[in-house]
Amino acid sequence: MGEEMPPYNYMSKAPLVALSGCGLALAWYAGTSAVLTGAAASVVPAVGAVSIASLVPTYLMHQRCNRVIETKLLSMSQRLDALNQHACINIVNADNELTEVNDSLLELTGYSREELIGQQVRVLYDASVKSLTDKVRSCLRRGETWQGETRLQHKDGHSVFTQATIMPLFDEAGEWAGSISARTDVTETNALMSERHTAETLNELRDDIWIVDSETEKFSYMNRSAKGRLCLSDADYKAKDLSDLNRETEIEKILSACRALRDNGESSTEFKATLLGVPMDVSVKFLPGAAGTGRYLILFNDISEHLEQEKRKSAFISTVSHELRSPLTSIKGAMGLLLSGSAGALPDKASALLEIAHRNADRLILIINDILDLDKISNGQMDFDIQTVDLAALVKETDTANAMLQQRFGVQTVLEGVDAPVMMQTDPNRIIQVLTNLLSNAYKFSTPGSSITLRVLDDEEGVRIEVGDKGQGIPADEQHKIFDRFADMTNSDRASKGGTGLGLNICRAIVESLGGTIGFETNVGIGTTFYFNLPKTLPETAHADDESAKQSA
Amino acid sequence: MIKLLHVEDDADIREIAEMALGLSGEFEIVQCISGEAALAQIENYTPDVLLLDMMMPGMTGRQTLEKMREKPHFATIPAIFMTARAQHAEIEELLATGAAEVISKPFDPMTLGDQIKDAIKKHAE
Repeated sequence: MGEEMPPYNYMSKAPLVALSGCGLALAWYAGTSAVLTGAAASVVPAVGAVSIASLVPTYLMHQRCNRVIETKLLSMSQRLDALNQHACINIVNADNELTEVNDSLLELTGYSREELIGQQVRVLYDASVKSLTDKVRSCLRRGETWQGETRLQHKDGHSVFTQATIMPLFDEAGEWAGSISARTDVTETNALMSERHTAETLNELRDDIWIVDSETEKFSYMNRSAKGRLCLSDADYKAKDLSDLNRETEIEKILSACRALRDNGESSTEFKATLLGVPMDVSVKFLPGAAGTGRYLILFNDISEHLEQEKRKSAFISTVSHELRSPLTSIKGAMGLLLSGSAGALPDKASALLEIAHRNADRLILIINDILDLDKISNGQMDFDIQTVDLAALVKETDTANAMLQQRFGVQTVLEGVDAPVMMQTDPNRIIQVLTNLLSNAYKFSTPGSSITLRVLDDEEGVRIEVGDKGQGIPADEQHKIFDRFADMTNSDRASKGGTGLGLNICRAIVESLGGTIGFETNVGIGTTFYFNLPKTLPETAHADDESAKQSA
Repeated sequence: MIKLLHVEDDADIREIAEMALGLSGEFEIVQCISGEAALAQIENYTPDVLLLDMMMPGMTGRQTLEKMREKPHFATIPAIFMTARAQHAEIEELLATGAAEVISKPFDPMTLGDQIKDAIKKHAE
């Protein structure tokens, strides 16, 4: 057996010269490095070496002696053979240059022996572990053996993880002579461990995860939460496909979303669905594989608690808003009666002050209304009452209803495109709300005495309504946030002009819910035109979304 | 004179409504602080119109009206709700129960009387 051992090149030039007195296993001599080939250099491994590493010198010596003592060491030779095959071994001299490497190490790192011998040992290490090599070196210089994980770098650049035992070597004079390392490749072990960790982590998730083969639609993975919800074991779910599950738990929406992704070549989609009666945010990702294959990654996030919280928040906002209205009813009512003179005539100054108070009570009511609207919008609960209406009449009506405000701001409206009826399907009250908002903004930001253009543009597809003022325009740095909530927060004019800072945000939500778009064109110093476009017939989705949101809420 | 039964738990609002409706001299007003009190009141009083606050401790305005409607001579008296929950859907719902009108809080004291008279007219048609 020993004779059949492959030749170990790295030992070929190493004459065994001397053995120390403490036995074969602890004494050896290796000869290629400059240091180790020094006169009668006998190198003794430090005490404390363990298992594999401690076998290395024995093995090296054995190579020289096997002809003489082969029968005696037969079992040892087998063990050493196994060691050589199992471990990657290298020897480094006092200058940290590689002097010996075995075939396993070459195989692991992708280098040839010629490329490594004489190189600094750090060529083997991944660049990111410099601090580790310093640590190992200082450990070795203290005469201690170092054990741990080292990250090597393959010649092609990829990382190779090894479990290493590195022993310091000293010559007879007790001088530092280098080190010998034995390593085992743990890259795969690490990958397996990390896969296991990933699996364990996914199991800890509260979210349900399904991974489904896109071709067979069979389940290839479910995390613990998903299995628990569906009461399936590992064997159960692997035997099922999406259609099976659809028959049992009505996942039609998920099934069709998956197929749509695959067929349309899209990568991901998100929607709400119920799974066994539980409301879920579902996110489906299609991960394409080779030639038509692929996987769906389906993630379920239980939103029942979230919805419950939203409901509580809404109820709170609604209660607070209504509670605020009762005292406001008295405040506004009392002031209204005073202003009307029903409690006797007031001095002019008192009337002026009361006007201010009354106006601000009105503003408070607007804010409360806006907050209620916003809450409905964020819950997708804003209700729409879709009717067939004449938009032209609606626009005229809104203009008339705002006559008082026009008077107050000293502006006039010029109507265009309202002579013929413009029939369409929409929610008239919401249109009035949007239009009133845009008009009141236009009044506020107009120069007194100027005119505002209120224009209806009718074409086959839809309508466009424009409200143009001759105000100062919107500065460039404010334009991007004009539809945000409290966008004009920094505008000191807001309070005096009576805005809530929520109007345009609500307008956008309403227009978009009605299937339209909203925007503006502005020229600083010349004026601003806000416009919104609406389809004449409501796209099904616009209203359907609203309906489904109501149902799921 | 229009005989009006006003049911409202908030004393300030009762006072303002009374003043507002008193302006024209067209209304004769009886006020109750709860639905329960109103039900007791109507044992020997039949108004021309009901003005009911929706949100009250105890019986709501709607429950009060339902109880009142059980009396044959109350079946057709116009009823107006006053509500701080002035959301479109809620107003629609109240009108669907047969209310003559739904007035949002805060109301305008100067037009309250006219609103009520309009509702009575609408109800009669």
